[in-house]
Amino acid sequence: MASTGQAATTARTEVREIIARTGHSVDNARAAVARLDVAFAAGDLLRTPFLDRALGDLSVALEQDDGQKLGGKSAEASRFILRAIDRELDEA
Amino acid sequence: MNLLGRPKLDDDQKARIPPGQYFTEKWPVLHYGSVPSTDLGTWGFRVWGEVEEPFSCTWDEFQAMPRTQLTTDIHCVTRWSRLDASFEGVPIRHILDRAKLTSDAHFVLAHSEQGYTANMPIEVLDDDDVMLADVADGAPLTAEHGYPLRLIVPKRYFWKSAKWIRGLQFMSRDQLGFWERYGYNNSADPWKEERFSDE
Repeated sequence: MASTGQAATTARTEVREIIARTGHSVDNARAAVARLDVAFAAGDLLRTPFLDRALGDLSVALEQDDGQKLGGKSAEASRFILRAIDRELDEA
Repeated sequence: MNLLGRPKLDDDQKARIPPGQYFTEKWPVLHYGSVPSTDLGTWGFRVWGEVEEPFSCTWDEFQAMPRTQLTTDIHCVTRWSRLDASFEGVPIRHILDRAKLTSDAHFVLAHSEQGYTANMPIEVLDDDDVMLADVADGAPLTAEHGYPLRLIVPKRYFWKSAKWIRGLQFMSRDQLGFWERYGYNNSADPWKEERFSDE
C-alpha cells in the first residue's frame, strides 16, 4: 500500500520538483536519489520492486570509474529512468 | 562532401539509410556509466533458460568455436548509420544449435556487464546476419565498443546489439531489457523508425 500523510506528500512533491528541474539530468538524478534516500530512511515513502530496480539501474548509469568520463548515454538514461520513477512515486 | 561536411552518397547507399538517419563514416561511442574492464582469464559466457543443453564457456573455449565474417550496415537510435561495417566472431546459429532451444523458447534476453540487458524475439535473433563478435573492422573490439564480445543484430537499432555481453537467457515470455523498460521501443526496427515506445 502506498504511503499516505503529509510527509509522503511532501516527499513526492519535492522529488518531482527535482525531476522537473531544467538543469542537467545527471545532476537531477543524483539529487532525486538523495531525496528519495531520505524519504525511505524516514519511512515517509516505501520502496517498491520497480523503484528498487529503477534506482539500481540509475546507479549504474551514474557510475563513473576513476579516470573515465561519464558515458554519453548517462544523461539520456537518467532522463528516462527519472520519468519512470515519477510515474511510480504514487505507489511508494 | 555536403554542406554539413558529410560524404556524398550514391543512390544505392542512400537507399540503405533508414528514415530519420544520417550517414557517418565514424563509429560513435555511446553507453551509459563507465566502460567495464575485463580479465579474459576469468571471463565467461553462459547460455541458459529454455534450452535442452545449457552451457558456459571460457574465453579460450569461445575462441575455439566456428567463426564467420559479416559486412553489414548498422543503425543507432541516436540517428547515425554506418554502412559496410565489418565484424568477425561466432555465428549465433552455432550457439542456438549447441544449446538446442526448447519449443517454449520464444524470446531471448542478452545479459551484459553491469546488469545491462536487451531483449528480442527468437525470430529476430535466429538469422544468418546475427553473431557474437569479438572483432570489428579487422581488429579486436575496443573497450568502448564492447571488448571482448558484443552481440550484433543488424536489423534492429544498435542498442539491441549488446556490448560487453556475458550471456543469453532464452525465455517463453518476453522480458524487457534496460532501455526497453524505460521507454525505448521493444521492436526497434530502424526501417519503421521504432525508436521510442510512446511514438
